[in-house]
Amino acid sequence: MTSTVSRAHAHTRAAAGRLNVPRPALVEAAVDGTPTVVNREVVTVVREEWRVVDRWWTDDPVDRRYFEVVLESGRNVCVYRDRDRGCWFTQRA
Amino acid sequence: MIACLVIPGFELRAALRSRPRLALEPVALAPEPGREPLLGPVTAAAEAVGVRAGMRLGEALATCPELVLVEQDPAAVERDWEGVLRRLEDAGFAVETVDPGVVVFETGGVERLYGGVEAALVKALASVGSAWDPRAGAGQRRFVALAAASVARPGQAVIVEGKEEQGFLEPLPLSLLPLPSNRYAELEGLGVRRLGELASLPGGAVEERLGPEGKRAWSLARGGERRRVRGRSPAAELAEALSFPEAVANELTLRRAFGVLLDRLLARPERAGRPLRKVAVSAKLVGGGSWRRTATLREATAERGRLRAALGPKLLELPAPVTELRLEVVELADHVGNQLALVPPEGAELDGRLREGLRQVRASTGTGSVCTVVEVAPWSRIPEARALVVPRDL
Repeated sequence: MTSTVSRAHAHTRAAAGRLNVPRPALVEAAVDGTPTVVNREVVTVVREEWRVVDRWWTDDPVDRRYFEVVLESGRNVCVYRDRDRGCWFTQRA
Repeated sequence: MIACLVIPGFELRAALRSRPRLALEPVALAPEPGREPLLGPVTAAAEAVGVRAGMRLGEALATCPELVLVEQDPAAVERDWEGVLRRLEDAGFAVETVDPGVVVFETGGVERLYGGVEAALVKALASVGSAWDPRAGAGQRRFVALAAASVARPGQAVIVEGKEEQGFLEPLPLSLLPLPSNRYAELEGLGVRRLGELASLPGGAVEERLGPEGKRAWSLARGGERRRVRGRSPAAELAEALSFPEAVANELTLRRAFGVLLDRLLARPERAGRPLRKVAVSAKLVGGGSWRRTATLREATAERGRLRAALGPKLLELPAPVTELRLEVVELADHVGNQLALVPPEGAELDGRLREGLRQVRASTGTGSVCTVVEVAPWSRIPEARALVVPRDL
């Protein structure tokens, strides 16, 4: 049973792609780490902030600080800072 | 007879309408951004100092350092050319546009009205107006009419009778033929400089040497084919424009403005419920030039969402901030509504249609283009781990 499931999973992974993959973003942040400019657009409001720490027991741990912001054009954007890599990304959360 | 009316350098004349003082100075139409840096039409003052249309920009500026380059203004070209066509149509001519600045029409229907071919051509020239320096020509075939108009002086009409065609075409230069510049050089290298010299060569040999375009040029040098003129359907006069107090480059603002224009256009009573077949969006740019894109819809529609989807992405191609956005109906469909099904499809029939639609998408875009979203861990705190896109092979 176990081998059947793992084979099927392997097949799916070969053909399938991830949805909502994070994309690198150009972000300028304040001293406290909140974004002030995202992809050359000024942030007007930071609506929400949260942290995701997961998979710390694996070789690929996740430690992200998410911000949901409103840009001056009116767009809602979600960005996060990957604390391990020190990079910013945008993602629909 | 078939008549042709030519306005040389129409794009430059249209661009100079807002700056008439420049018409007497050495001016050339600037090359399109991103294209080969070759000059467009030039003014008489520029020609007098050795600048020619089609010259490389660097060479032209070295020849005439005070040469003024005028940006292309496609919206002005479209607007002014439409004005010319409407004036001709008002005079009774059913016109067919070849290019902006070149139009053909049949004189048969109006000869008795105006008292002959020559009088009809004089009427056509007068209706266009002397400000454009139009020239007219007439012959039994399109190319003969075009050649006659090309050799006429401003305001003059040249008529070539059927039996005089060959004698008329023979001494004319090869530049009247629609050939790439390297082909002219090749023909001149072979000692062929006149239409008569090209027409006297065997057609098979010309095709073998110059390919299909050479064969077409050879055919035109012998007068070209006899093809009737198809007068255009009268254009719709539906347009809405929005001026901005200051230049706008923000995509969101432009999209909102576009939405407002679309609503206003669809609400116009002149549309009389007819769906839109061809739509144009144009803009006045902050630098003084203009920008225009047209979209012909595969299926005529008046649905706001579909029109937004067809034209909205074109706003991303705007090269500069805009001061005015304009939306225009180029063509309306003749019908008022679509025949809908009496019973909406459902069950197996709907499935069959969906499968067929997906099969067509896959056929046109390749395998792997149709996918299904499969939720694998919707509870996950990591967004990219929640779902996968899996290719769907039906």
